[in-house]
Order: sequence, then C-alpha cells, then structure tokens
Amino acid sequence: MENILECKDIVKSFGGVQALKKVAFSLRQGEVHALVGENGAGKSTLIKIISGALKLDRGEIFYLGKRIDISSPRVAQEIGISTVYQDPMVYPELSVLENIFLGREILDKRGNIDWKKEEERAKELFASLEISPSFLNEPIGKLTLGLQQLALIAKALVYESRVIIFDEPTAILTEHETERLFNIISRLKERNVSIIYISHRLEEIFTIADYVTVLRDGEVVGNFPISEITRDKIVELMAGRLLTEEIEHIEVKRENPILSVKNLTKKGRFYGISFDAYPGEILCFYGLVGSGRSDVAQALFGIQRYDSGEIIYQGNRLAISSPDEAMDLNIAYLPEDRKAQGLFLPLSVAYNISISILKNILKLFSFVDVEKEREVSQRYVSELSIKAPSIDTKVYSLSGGTQQKVVLAKWLAVNPKLLILDEPTHGIDVATKSEVHQIISKLARQGVSVIVISSEIPEVIKLADRVIVMHEGRITGVFKNREITQENLIRAATGERVSPGLD
Amino acid sequence: MEFSKIVKRIEFTILALILVLGVIFSLTTAKFLSRDNLTNIMYQLSSLIISAIGMTMVIITGGIDVSIGSTLGLSAVVAGMLLTNNTSLLLVILAVLGVGGLVGAINGVIIGYGGIPAIISTLGTMNLVRAFLFQVLKGRWITGLPESVRFIGIGRFLGLPISIWIAIVLLAAFSYFLRFRPSGRYIYAIGNNIEAARISGVNPNKIQFIVYFFAGILAGFCGLIYTARTGIVQTNTGMGFEMDVIAAVVLGGTSTMGGRGTILGTLLGAVLVGIIKNGMVLLNVPALGEGLVIGLLILISVIIDIIRSQGD
Repeated sequence: MENILECKDIVKSFGGVQALKKVAFSLRQGEVHALVGENGAGKSTLIKIISGALKLDRGEIFYLGKRIDISSPRVAQEIGISTVYQDPMVYPELSVLENIFLGREILDKRGNIDWKKEEERAKELFASLEISPSFLNEPIGKLTLGLQQLALIAKALVYESRVIIFDEPTAILTEHETERLFNIISRLKERNVSIIYISHRLEEIFTIADYVTVLRDGEVVGNFPISEITRDKIVELMAGRLLTEEIEHIEVKRENPILSVKNLTKKGRFYGISFDAYPGEILCFYGLVGSGRSDVAQALFGIQRYDSGEIIYQGNRLAISSPDEAMDLNIAYLPEDRKAQGLFLPLSVAYNISISILKNILKLFSFVDVEKEREVSQRYVSELSIKAPSIDTKVYSLSGGTQQKVVLAKWLAVNPKLLILDEPTHGIDVATKSEVHQIISKLARQGVSVIVISSEIPEVIKLADRVIVMHEGRITGVFKNREITQENLIRAATGERVSPGLD
Repeated sequence: MEFSKIVKRIEFTILALILVLGVIFSLTTAKFLSRDNLTNIMYQLSSLIISAIGMTMVIITGGIDVSIGSTLGLSAVVAGMLLTNNTSLLLVILAVLGVGGLVGAINGVIIGYGGIPAIISTLGTMNLVRAFLFQVLKGRWITGLPESVRFIGIGRFLGLPISIWIAIVLLAAFSYFLRFRPSGRYIYAIGNNIEAARISGVNPNKIQFIVYFFAGILAGFCGLIYTARTGIVQTNTGMGFEMDVIAAVVLGGTSTMGGRGTILGTLLGAVLVGIIKNGMVLLNVPALGEGLVIGLLILISVIIDIIRSQGD
C-alpha cells in the first residue's frame, strides 16, 4: 500500500509552548489510522494542520506524492481532505440536502441550483452507505447528532474526499449509532478512502483501526499495526514518565468539609455527583474535555443551574444564582478560557485585578478608593511576581503565562476559602506553570480548599491530595495518595469503574 | 503626560479638527465668530451634550439607543402641556425626568433582562413613542409658554447660557461616575467582555438597565431645555436628533464595538457636530446636505475605530 498522506517534521508553537515537536505521520491508502494521546498531546493540533485550520511553523506535507501547502480548510476540502468534527458543524435551519451541497452546488445550464440532480446524487451516496435517504429535505438541526454526522460524511463524499478525519466521532453517538458508523467506515475503506480516527475509547480502536500512532507532549512516541500492540502498552505510552519536581504536601485532616456536594445532577451535563472538599486540601478533577468537570465547577460558582441535588457550604445549604453571590461567600472560580472568560484585554492590569473587589474598597459616597485599588493591585503584582512594566500596562501586551497570573490575582483578591481553578496552567510556559503550582501549594498550606480541574496527568499527580475522575458526566473514580497513578486515572477517565474509593 | 502621547490621543485629533473648521467657517462666513452666533451654538450644544453623555454610556456597553429623539419629543410635549397649564417648574422637572426615565427603563428591561438586541428594541420604542405623540397632538402645536420658565432655555449666568452650565455640571458628574463608581467601571467591563464580567461578579443585566435608564432620563431633561428654548413643541420635535447624538459620541472616539470611550471625547465630538451644523446653516447648505455630512462623518469615524482596534 502506498502512502496517500505524509507529514514530515511538523513543528507548531503557540506563544512559547511547543505543541508539535518534529512530528512525522504517514497514512496509507485505504487504512484506518488511529491517533491517540492525552489531552494536550498534540492530536488536535496535528489534524488541524492537516485539515487547513492551522498553519504549521516548519515541516512538510506530501499528498499523493506531491508537496502541498494546505492554507485553508477550503483548500483541504477541494483537494480531498475532509474532517468530521466531534460536534457536527452544520447550518441547522437548512435542509440536509442544502447542507451536503453547500459550497459545491450542482448547477444547471443557466447557473441555477439543480435540485433534482442534487437529490439524485445524494440518494446514490446514501445508498452506497446503505442508509435510507428519507430525511433529505428536513432541516438538519431537527435530526439526531448521529444522523447529522452521517450527512457530513456524505458531504465529504460529494467532495470525493480521499482522506476523512474523524475527531472523536463516537463521543456523541449511541451504541447503535456507533455500530452503524463502524459499518460505514468499513465501506469507506472498501472504496479505498483513508481514515484518520481520533478517539479516547481505546476499545474502539481495537475494533476498527489498522494502525495506531501514539502522541505525547507533541511527540510521536510510537506507531504500530494494531495487531502488534496491547491496550496496556498504549496506556503506558500515552502517560509516559512524569515530571519529577515535587511540591510540598501536608497531612490533610479530612474532618470538617468546607463543601459537601450531594447527588448533584444536571441533565446532559453531569449525574449524581457527590463529594466533599476540605480546608487545606488540593482536590483535583481529572477527566477528558467534555466529561462534565467544568460544568460541576460552574454550578458551584452560580454560573450554571442544576436540576437536582444539594450543595452544603460551610454548614449551610448553598443557594446562589450568580458569581457575585458566590464571591460574597469567599468562593472563587478561575475559568478555563482566560481570554474569553477571564480578561479584559484592552484594559490595564490594575483594572483586571480590581474588578472583582471594587465593592469592597469604597470610600465616602461609595466612590472607588483609587489609592487602595492601586495598592491592592500592586501587592498582588509583587506577590505573584507578575512580569508587567506597570499596573497600568494593558493586559493584551502580556505573555500568556503573565496574563494567567493576572486572572489568578483577581481571584486571590477575593480572599477565597474555596478556590476552584479550571485548567490553571493551560497553554502557559513551563516556568510559569511551576510557579503557579507553587502558589497553589502555598494557598492550600494556608488553609484554602483548592479544587483544580486539569486534563494533564503529570499535573494532577504532582498537585493532588485526592483525585476525582469523571467520565461522561459521572464520577468513575476517587483516588488518594498512592492510588493516584497514571494507569488508574486513564482507566477511570475512559469509563472503567476501577476506583477503590467508590461506593 | 508627555506631549507626544497627548498628540496621539483621539481627543487631540478632534480638537485640531474643531480649530480647523472654526478657522474655515470664520473666513468663509461673516457671522460665525459673532457673539450672537457663538451663543446660539452653545444653546443648541447643551441638549446635544447632555443626551450624548447617556449615549456614550450606552455605546460603551456595546449597545445603541435610537429612541432618544422620540424620548426628547415626548418629554418636550409633556413639558409644554404642563407649563402652559401653569404647573410649577419643580413638578415639570420631575415629570420630564419621569417620562424620560420611563422610556429608558422600558428599553433597559427589554435589552438588559429580555436579551433583545438594542437596535431592535430601541427602534421599537422610538416608533411607539412617536406614534403616541401623533395621537396626542394630532398635528397641533403647543405654544404660549409663560416667559418665567424660559430662562432654562435662554437664560444666562456669568455670560454663558444656563443650559450650558447644566451640561458642564453633568459632564463632570458622569466623568466622575464612569471613573470612580463601581457601576461606572462595570460599564466598560461588560462592553469589553460580557462573559468575563459576569464571572467576575458583575451583573450585566443590571448595568445594561442602568445605562438605558440614564440615557432616557438625560434625553427627557433635554426635552425641557428644548421647549424652554424654542417655546414651540410639535409632533416631529426631536426627530433625527438621535443621529446627531450618535455622531457626536462616535466622532468623540467611543468604539461602536463597545468597551472604549470617554466623556471628554464625547464633549469634543458634540462640539464638532455643533460647529459643522451651524457652519452649514451659515453657508446656506440645504438640510439634505447636512444629513449627508453627518452620515459621512459617522461612517468615517466607525472606519477609523475599526482600524484603531486592529492596531491593538
């Protein structure tokens, strides 16, 4: 079999962080090639480069033996590389037919859309995939996600794609739909279409893939024919060796929880979540993106509502409906996406730090005490060694790590007793990351109850006194001390209920 | 601040533009620099400035309020009717603030709590209020105001119109509000990043309500100034006023994308609009030409704003 796609020495950095370090990847004609790795290992970056959504910094891509420059998703699609994303990207109000042919309409002689021909062609396509074409004229938004995905596969065939990338296609599917998808993938294989298949569900890979490439920290750590590797070996490769640097852990007395969550449920997001958090403890939430960790955190902070269950905070039932109420109770939440949810980029460092505490630094006639505001901002700038020329510097000009410290300063200013950090070191450089870890450790030693949501196993192992693992909205594992191992975490995060701590 | 930094500020550009236009108009028309004309400019400017203060806050949140022309009309009618019935001035002031605040509050509830886009909601209230005025006045004019109340429109104090003194006090008060009150700061926060503001403990619904409420109150007060100055109120009073106000705010450097703008800039923008309108009257430019110039100015400043944002 000859290679249809070959990537050589692909390098890609974001800010100071190297997401891909000289990655090589080749795809043979008519094979299903699985791409696995932890969150942040570089899978998404790689497929985004192949599908034209990102530009590579260095390296070469060969397609059908020729060197090519995939400058945009449109170019990728035109030459025959299509991507089916986890959440189908559709125009919900348009019909299935319109969605399939959008951008590549079949025209008649006068340049109008030839609906009849489009319908015929679509029926042919669906027949070749052995799917009933009964829903062609319905708005695509009315269909189940599984059917929407099928329509997108059909769209890829309209473009006569020779490479189709599936990004966690089964995450949204029922068992039955998954089976149907696997059938279709086999048919595509018969037509000599090559498939890049990303999934966190390792069992699936053994069902349908011919080949597997494992990524870790932006590097390829192995590729094997599926018949020559075991599940355990893949898990071991994915996790790799851990960061050796340690933080100081103190003995946590788990006596009086500051927070008790009981049976918290929000349909479609999380189910039956129960746990306690204690002062002085670093409690980590591990799980894949979309496993519901952030949703639980946002429910605790009053951003999201929940359907049922109970939250007890400092002995009382927590009834809050907005972040400012949570802040009044000394609960703080550092959101996952610092640019979209954390920062006011065109405004100053001082403004960004003080926004959450303006109400507490008023003087006569409830005007803001600007002296005090500057004093507080200055204090946190030195305490967290925020590298900004001055507190009047606009935040957009700072590096990612420094920006993250500004957001952290905003939340420390609230004097939190319960501090929830959602991916606190996401996308920041190694040095700052280590500083943030030290800050977290110091806060815990001062008696703050810290909840850290993280998708990075090394970080979890380094920080956690206790780990709760979530999978598809449910807790699948609780680990303490020596039980916190890469294998345990990965097993629980992929849906195995392996925990000794679960009742 | 260093001189080079001052030159780079948008306020400096507007000031330069005002001076250039001032020189051009004083060379091409005989009357421009006369004491009467300058006073006249100030009479007209006071309403523009006061309403533009409210509009500045609205636009900083990323919104818009096209209903303030109608609000001014409504309040002018209320003021006219009450004053011709010899109601005490204090009550009239409360009444115009009340009707202005009412329209503003309706906008604030629909936009802040209902989540309806500002342009749609305020277009709605703009037309509703205007239709109501047609129904009430049925084409009549209100005239015959008692002379004793007209000082609000045409009286002077220390050589300047009283209405300008009121505008100056409000300018100072709202500059202070935007800089030193938490709610004032939050206006910038939600214009910059409404999601981050919410997570930082700001209540965006409340802040949006406040800015439209203020915009309504200020436009309502301008209705009284208008009535007292002209002595005549009719159905189409205040029609198109919102365009002048939006032009003043946008020319003054407030970003239509939200998050950026100052009261000082708005003051300069208003002066610029006032001078241009006055100069064109003196040059006998027809009303259509005036609309053309204001429209062009808005477009140019929006384009400059977009270029400036890309620079960030």
